[in-house]
Amino acid sequence: MLSVRNLNAGYGKLQVLFDVSLEVPAKGITVVVGPNGAGKTTLLNSIMGNATVFSGDVVFEGANIQGILPYRAARMGISYVPQMGNVFADLTVMENLHMAGYMLSSGEVKDKAAQVTDMFPVLKKFLHRKAGTLSGGERRMLAIGMGLMRKPKLMLLDELSTDLAPIIAKRVIAEVARLRDELGITILLVEQMAKRALEIGDTAYLLVSGDIRYEGKAADLLNDPELARLYLGIKEA
Amino acid sequence: MSGADRPVSRDESIWQRNDVIIGLAMVAVLTVIMLFRGLPLVLTILIDAAVFTIVTLSLNLEVGHTGISQFGRVLAVIAGAFVVGAVPGRLLAFFKGLPYGASYADDAVNYKVVPELSDLLASSLPLSIGFLLFCFLLAAVAGAAVGWLTSRPAIRLKEAYLGISLLAFGDFFMWIGHNWEPLVGGTTAVFVPDPFRVVWGSRFEVVVIVAIIVALLVYLYLERLTKSPFGRTLHMVRDCDLAAAVCGKDIVKIRTQSLMIGSALAAIGGALYVIYAGTTTAIGFTRLTWTFWPWAYMMLGGIGSNRGVVLGVLMLTVARTLIITYRSSLFGFLMAWGIDPMWLEYTLMGLVIILVVLFMPHGLVPAKVESILPADKVRRAAREHGFGETVGG
Amino acid sequence: MMPAWLASGLVYASGLSLTAGGITLLYITTRTFNFAHASMATWGFYVVYTGTVLYGGTPYRWLPLAFLFGALLGVICYLALNRLLLYRQANTITLMMSTLGYDLVLLSFIQMYCDYLTYSLKLFPRRVTMSVFDIELFGTSGASIILPLTAVAVLTLLHLFITRTKFGTAMRATIENSLLAGASGINSDWVYMMSWIIGGGMASLGGAFMAMAMTGTPVLGMTTIPFMFAGAILGGLHSLYGGILGGFVVGLAEYAGVYFLAAQAGSWVLGYRMAIPLLIMAITLIAFPQGLAGAWAPMVSRLRGLRRRGVGA
Repeated sequence: MLSVRNLNAGYGKLQVLFDVSLEVPAKGITVVVGPNGAGKTTLLNSIMGNATVFSGDVVFEGANIQGILPYRAARMGISYVPQMGNVFADLTVMENLHMAGYMLSSGEVKDKAAQVTDMFPVLKKFLHRKAGTLSGGERRMLAIGMGLMRKPKLMLLDELSTDLAPIIAKRVIAEVARLRDELGITILLVEQMAKRALEIGDTAYLLVSGDIRYEGKAADLLNDPELARLYLGIKEA
Repeated sequence: MSGADRPVSRDESIWQRNDVIIGLAMVAVLTVIMLFRGLPLVLTILIDAAVFTIVTLSLNLEVGHTGISQFGRVLAVIAGAFVVGAVPGRLLAFFKGLPYGASYADDAVNYKVVPELSDLLASSLPLSIGFLLFCFLLAAVAGAAVGWLTSRPAIRLKEAYLGISLLAFGDFFMWIGHNWEPLVGGTTAVFVPDPFRVVWGSRFEVVVIVAIIVALLVYLYLERLTKSPFGRTLHMVRDCDLAAAVCGKDIVKIRTQSLMIGSALAAIGGALYVIYAGTTTAIGFTRLTWTFWPWAYMMLGGIGSNRGVVLGVLMLTVARTLIITYRSSLFGFLMAWGIDPMWLEYTLMGLVIILVVLFMPHGLVPAKVESILPADKVRRAAREHGFGETVGG
Repeated sequence: MMPAWLASGLVYASGLSLTAGGITLLYITTRTFNFAHASMATWGFYVVYTGTVLYGGTPYRWLPLAFLFGALLGVICYLALNRLLLYRQANTITLMMSTLGYDLVLLSFIQMYCDYLTYSLKLFPRRVTMSVFDIELFGTSGASIILPLTAVAVLTLLHLFITRTKFGTAMRATIENSLLAGASGINSDWVYMMSWIIGGGMASLGGAFMAMAMTGTPVLGMTTIPFMFAGAILGGLHSLYGGILGGFVVGLAEYAGVYFLAAQAGSWVLGYRMAIPLLIMAITLIAFPQGLAGAWAPMVSRLRGLRRRGVGA
């Protein structure tokens, strides 16, 4: 569904990604793991058009979208849930959902919002509260819900579990598996908490210092003791 | 790596250098002007250029080399202009037994007292020179004081906030001068005793030569200063004040020093201007002329490049003078509508700023990106310490 | 009966609050301190002046045109300058300087326009007392009643637009987090354009207001822009409502302060009136070097203010 070919990208003059190639097959969860500063977020930003792409291609459903404007990528069906600032803190939960569905008709917005609040019932209580007042886990749910509002074909999820208590993180990651299983959405998931993400993932990539060091089945990476120990902080059982 | 640190070729022909080409072009234009319009117009251009070179170089020290958003350049210029308008004449008047108090600045008294003082100066060359130097010294001290005062907020405020505060206080100083008559005559101008009366027959030429010498001295001083270790410290503060602080640099002190030096120089520019003009008129020290024009000059020349600034001043001074001189022949179509083409000067300055911002953000003579240590020095040090040739330039 | 200083003070303060609000709006949306506010305000005054002198009637019927003209100037500034620089992620000073260049160009056009009015229409546009065209209402000048009410009406409409409409909500969303807004499919281009339309319109409207309280000259905006900035800084530069309030406080403080000080100390005080807004700005900045943003933010956000988050200036 999405393929990234020989991508060199960064911010301004600073190059972060070096010749990165990656395939995101449809209706699966592709996990990109790697240590801090490996360029995982930059990868998502270059797909969305938020970073500087020096060379390489980003092909989405057969169309080259390299260097696209973010709002156009959104309108093509790519839904990006950033790690930081993924909700509008000053807007109410309802306004947040409406903004997320900006390009839908008002009827569609209503249907979608109902669908999202059904999926995440916790949001129903807070519809008219400012998103800034929600708890970390609730905010993450809202962020995913906002991603869903855009009727996505592909969701880019950045570090969903960061800063969350382990039990909450586990629940949020479990929701991602539901997106694939129940809604059939293709997902590119970037995670530092590798273990849990690899457990639900289908394909996996290991990104270290802007360089792909492993590609293959998620389960295989999880079971590769050497890589897991070196880069993922997973101790051998 | 990417093209960011492309090596600068050392044997670049001087004919490919912007500064050389523009410099020669300016000389050619001035020659043509002299042939067609005579020397006085060239001298007018040169005195304007000299005064603004001083002011713009001082601005460049603060903005280009230190990274302070100085939108109140007029403040220091006013300090120099007002102090020279107010103090040296009074001192002379005091020694001569003429009125020197508040009444000195009263226009009914001032226009009688100052010619007497000018006559006194005209009687002695050493006295005139001494007076001139005293004016510069006084202006520099006043400027440095203003620089120190403005450094107080400059330490705390973020760039744009600082710029706007300085801008507002520049205006405020002008209004004080305009309203408080005992200072520099308020709405009426106060005359300045003329130290150039002593060379009366060729006053204009001598003023121009002195102005050019002062501008040249300021240029040489700033060239040396910005290339010295102190200059490199300024650049460090400009590029990353956090890193500079980590290296043990006292940022507050460095900014203060830069502001004091810059303001002292700008004040000398202001002093030179009022001595040349013979009067101090408070309302003439607007932010447009003494802050925004220097900014435009500096941006055209290249922020951070002393040589660029000089060329930028020269180019725009010539352009402005030409608009005024040839307004009737070039812009007659405007005059048919009753429009005075002198306003095109504003249009020109505005467009220059816009075009530079859009298409030439580094100016005509971009400032060189220098490494903290010269490359050959690094190589030598590496050899001495046995790193061999592995350390590149 | 309203005392004379209060009557003209209200007019002036309403004008200043509109301009300071515009400066704030442009700053929170595009990170730009707009120097061109000066000439935009002056153009607003000349639109009203020209209309009133040529076609008669009260100045008030020309206010909508002044707003539209300012909006047009804003759109030009955005499309020709600001937009390109925002794409390049230019720094604050570059953005500021670009609007200064635009301001000088507009100023030159103002001066030429004045020459034209003087020459072709035999008018005296360089020193205009707009209040001679005013009407009397309830025993006081019409301006002191109509203009503050107009300002309130404009600001109410603006408030409703920002809080109740989809595009207004999108503006708030973009201001808070332009990255996420883009990811939601909001075209930030339109949001920035809209803030230049509103900001420019408010600048011209404010300039036209101020000319009803003071002498209208080609440098009306040039002399008052420090006060517009003072109002915006007092308001904290993070909330539109703060800027509007800041402009009003600064404007009224100037008139009230000068009136009472002159009564105490004599009329020489009048020459130093600009000390009052500058003093307010200086005190604000000394107490809160980042502007009032830090001090007011929690309070204002509770008032559903516009707040900028994330990437700093």
